[in-house]
Amino acid sequence: MANMNTWQQFFYYMTTNGSYVLSQFTRHFLISIYGVLIAAVIGIPIGLFIARNRKLSSTIIGIANVIQTIPSLAMLSIIMLGLGLGVNTVIVTVFLYSLLPIIKNTYTGMVSVDPTVIDSAKGMGMTSFQRLYMVEVPLSMSVIMAGIRNALVVAIGITAIGAFVGAGGLGDIIIRGTNATNGGAIILAGALPTALMAIIADLVLGFVQRRLEPKESSH
Amino acid sequence: MKKFTKLFVVLATAVLTLAGCGFPGISGSDQKTIKIAALSTTESSVMANMLAELINHELGYPTTLVSNLGSTTVTHQAMLRGDADISATRYTGTDLTGTLDLPVEKDPKKAGRIVKRVFKQKYHQTWFPSYGFADTYAFMVTKQFAAQHHVSTISQLKPLAPSMAAGVDSSWMNRKGDGYADFKTGYGFDFKRVYPMQIGLVYDAVEAGKMQTVLGYSTDGRIRSYDLTVLKDDKHFFPPYDASMVVSDSLLKQYPKLAPVLHRLDGKISMKTMQELNYQVDDQLKEPSVVAREFLVKHNYFRGGAN
Repeated sequence: MANMNTWQQFFYYMTTNGSYVLSQFTRHFLISIYGVLIAAVIGIPIGLFIARNRKLSSTIIGIANVIQTIPSLAMLSIIMLGLGLGVNTVIVTVFLYSLLPIIKNTYTGMVSVDPTVIDSAKGMGMTSFQRLYMVEVPLSMSVIMAGIRNALVVAIGITAIGAFVGAGGLGDIIIRGTNATNGGAIILAGALPTALMAIIADLVLGFVQRRLEPKESSH
Repeated sequence: MKKFTKLFVVLATAVLTLAGCGFPGISGSDQKTIKIAALSTTESSVMANMLAELINHELGYPTTLVSNLGSTTVTHQAMLRGDADISATRYTGTDLTGTLDLPVEKDPKKAGRIVKRVFKQKYHQTWFPSYGFADTYAFMVTKQFAAQHHVSTISQLKPLAPSMAAGVDSSWMNRKGDGYADFKTGYGFDFKRVYPMQIGLVYDAVEAGKMQTVLGYSTDGRIRSYDLTVLKDDKHFFPPYDASMVVSDSLLKQYPKLAPVLHRLDGKISMKTMQELNYQVDDQLKEPSVVAREFLVKHNYFRGGAN
């Protein structure tokens, strides 16, 4: 192997271990997705709630902000104390980091809905719930989506660190590369797919986000 | 509004699924999976993957690896907490003095019996018979050096030692029982200088000629890639580090078919074989999981008993 340069080694590695890299890629992606999904399920309703009860907003967003400032390795270790080693610890960590962008964007999206639109909805006799799901949520959907997009890209990065608590994923390959004598190619084999995943996730969700942007109504 | 309803339905379904049974698609997120702990070493990774592949292929039980654990202490804690059901590689010497805090025992058979008995009583874990290799500390020199100075045992280094530089694992320096201080009294000589370093670097150091001898692990794949000569521990100074798996008794009870399958690996992997497997990972850029599967396929999953 010594006679090959790093890129040749990289391609050799990929051909020898392709299916392994693919399985870790899937695992990595699923860990990130699940964390973000739970955060969306919990974070969006919280965002909607604080948009209606604005007094609470600074407290809730403040708490989410504090969570965000904890370094990810420290967060992993803290959660590991409770949940032990393994994949669940990483999913919970991803969940916690995803809360802030999702709550904040939901809140911002809701608050920035034009008050005149809400007034006319009120004027049409809509109930509070009808206003929420017929007017406010559709209008802030693209901003909420931007939050999810942001969260997912961060999540993919955090999942890579999750290999330290034995969760697997592409971080596993990176760590193995750092342990190996000439691990440059192995590190690339773990790092490049991680970067690729983040870029693709960003592009796809960016596309979804643009589709959700409210269109000017045709009169 | 349709969009919102749809989104809501999707999310609600997702939550219900998640609450029901771990995370679909990710092994190891629920309780039923067999969790195999591996250290961050190549050897441990290969063996853990081998166990996972063996269990998967022969019995079809779901398995997952808890990998990259830093030390045997971490592995032991993981086993006690139930984060892991099987430790892929445990070494008699390490567990005897480290985990159990017992005095060093230099007879491999006795050491094996002690850990087996105490682990059973104290932790309800079964210590399996050795895989057949021991990952012990070993002094090694380059082949040229061995030929030039006619050395094959550690004792023969004595006349050369005053002019030799030695690279050793930094954790070895302060070990009790088989560490540096005891080595000096045990063999009765000292090197000109001893450089404590990270264990992964010692092989390169001796290969590059920076050190005349280094203390490394006897199963490392780089012994083969650099063609190093392992010196015989003729005074039996280093205690045995026979490698075995340790399995929790509750797992064996839950899956009665498991033990016979795991016993297929007893004594099947010699030190040369382990060096070869490590070599494939460290030098040939193969993933431990690939190496483990190839090895099992080559031996037909040790179905015939003796091979």
